[in-house]
Amino acid sequence: MNQRRVAITGLGLVSPYGGDLADFFTRLCAGQSAVGHLLTEDVPRPLSMPFVTSPGFDPAVALGKPLAGMMDRYAQFGMAAAFSAWDDAGFPRQTGHECRNDWGVAWGTALGGTMAYEHGYRELWQRGRERLSPLTVVLGMNNGANAHMSIQFGLGGVSMSHTVACASSAIAIGEAFRRVRSGEATVMLTGGSDVPQAYGVARAWEALRVMAPGDAETSPFACRPFSADRRGLVLGEGGAALVLEDWDHAVARGARIHGEIVGYGTTCDHSHLVRPEAEGQIRAIRLTLADAGLTPADIDYVNAHGTATAEGDPVEIAALKAVFGDGAERLAVSGTKSMHGHMLGASAAIEAIVTVLALRDKAIPPTAHLDQLDPACIGVDHVTAARTGQPLRAALSNSFAFGGSNAVLAFRAVSQ
Amino acid sequence: MESIGLIRDFLKDRLGVEPENVVPDAALAALGVDSLMMLELMFEFEDRYSVKLSRDLKSPRTVGEMVSLMDGLIAQSKR
Repeated sequence: MNQRRVAITGLGLVSPYGGDLADFFTRLCAGQSAVGHLLTEDVPRPLSMPFVTSPGFDPAVALGKPLAGMMDRYAQFGMAAAFSAWDDAGFPRQTGHECRNDWGVAWGTALGGTMAYEHGYRELWQRGRERLSPLTVVLGMNNGANAHMSIQFGLGGVSMSHTVACASSAIAIGEAFRRVRSGEATVMLTGGSDVPQAYGVARAWEALRVMAPGDAETSPFACRPFSADRRGLVLGEGGAALVLEDWDHAVARGARIHGEIVGYGTTCDHSHLVRPEAEGQIRAIRLTLADAGLTPADIDYVNAHGTATAEGDPVEIAALKAVFGDGAERLAVSGTKSMHGHMLGASAAIEAIVTVLALRDKAIPPTAHLDQLDPACIGVDHVTAARTGQPLRAALSNSFAFGGSNAVLAFRAVSQ
Repeated sequence: MESIGLIRDFLKDRLGVEPENVVPDAALAALGVDSLMMLELMFEFEDRYSVKLSRDLKSPRTVGEMVSLMDGLIAQSKR
C-alpha cells in the first residue's frame, strides 16, 4: 500500500495559563504549574479541589455570541482550540475554490456535553421546572464539537467523536492520522476537549479516591507524578487541536510543518476496568514503534501518561523498561500533567502538542515537583528541569485510559 | 406590541443583535434566527407568558409576523 507522509501543520489550544501557544510552552519548560484551587457554590456541598481552569477564556469573545450560545462549554473549548489550530495552519476559515469534501474531523471527548445535561437536571429537580430548553439535545451530544467544526470550516468528509476516557484524543489523533496516511483524507482536524467540573462528575471522581488533595495554597503542587509522596491526579478543563495534512499537499502550499506524525498503536489490557497492566501498555508501545518504522534506539523523549496515581505511575515505568531494555536508563521521560493537569479527553491532545513542540524547539519540559523519586519509578531518565538545545529525533506520547484502553502516538522532528 | 421587548431582549442576549435592528420588516433569518433558535425563542415565549404554542404553527418569517403571532396568543390567554 502506498502510504502518504503526514505533516502537522496546525497547533492550537486554550491555554490554562491564559496566553498563546508559545507562552504555554515557555511556562511549561519553566516548570510553572497551571493548577489552581476550584471552589464552587454548589448545593449541598461546594466542590473544593485542586483543578486547572481557564479563567480568562471568554467564549463570546473567542467564538462570537451566536456560535458560543449553540455549544456546551466542552465544545466551546474545542472550537476555540480548533480556530486557533486552523489559523495556525494558514487555512482560510471559509471554503474558497478548493473542495474540502475529503477533509474531516476526529475529536476526542470523555464527557461530551455533560454540563448541558447537568444544567437540565438542576432546572428540573432543584428549580421545579417541568421542561427544558430545546437546545439541550444539541448542546449535550458528544459529537457537538466535531459537528460545529465541520460546519465552520466546510469539511465534507468524516466527522466523528471518540470517547475512550483518558485516551479519547490519542485515539482521535491516531484515527485521523491513519485516514491521512491512507489517502482517504487530505486534511484532518483532530484533538480533544473536556470540562470535568460538572458537580456530579467531580463528586464521582472524588469517590474513586484517586484525586490529589489541596487548598488554595498547596494546589499548585498537588500533582506530583513519579514522586514518592504523590497523592493522585488533578482534573482540569481544556481543549487542544492539531491539523494533520497530507505531506505533499502541505509542501505544495508552502505550509510551515511543525513536525511529522509517524506512528499510532492501540491495545486493551482486557483485564480490569481501572487497574492498568504493563503487558497491554508494552504491546501498545511496540505496535506504535513498528507502525512508525522506528526502533527503541530512535526515541529521544517520552511524554508519559503520568497521572500521579499510586498504581499507574510504576506500571508505566515498568512498561517503558520492558520495551527500552538497557536503553531505558538513557530515555528522557516527563509527565507534564504535573503542570497542566488531567484534562481527560483533552489530555492526549495537549500532550501531543507538547511532544511536537519539544521536537521542534529541541526542548524537553520537566515533570514538575519531582524532588524525591519513588523507588518504584526508578529506571528511566526522569527530566526534572527543562533541557534545552536537545537534538531530539523522535518521541512518543503515552495515554492509558480507564477501561484498559492504551494508545501511543509517535512523532518525528522535521529539519527546519 | 407587547412581545417586541421579549424578542429584542432575546436576540440581544443570545445573538448579540442590537435592538434597533429588530424592526417589523426585518427577516428573522437575516438576524441569525435559524430553526433551532426559533425553537428556543418559542420556548422562552411560552415560559414567559404561560401559553402553549400549537405544534403545527406556521413559522413566522419576519419580526413583525412574530410580534403579531405572539401578541395574538397573549391576548387570547388573557381572555
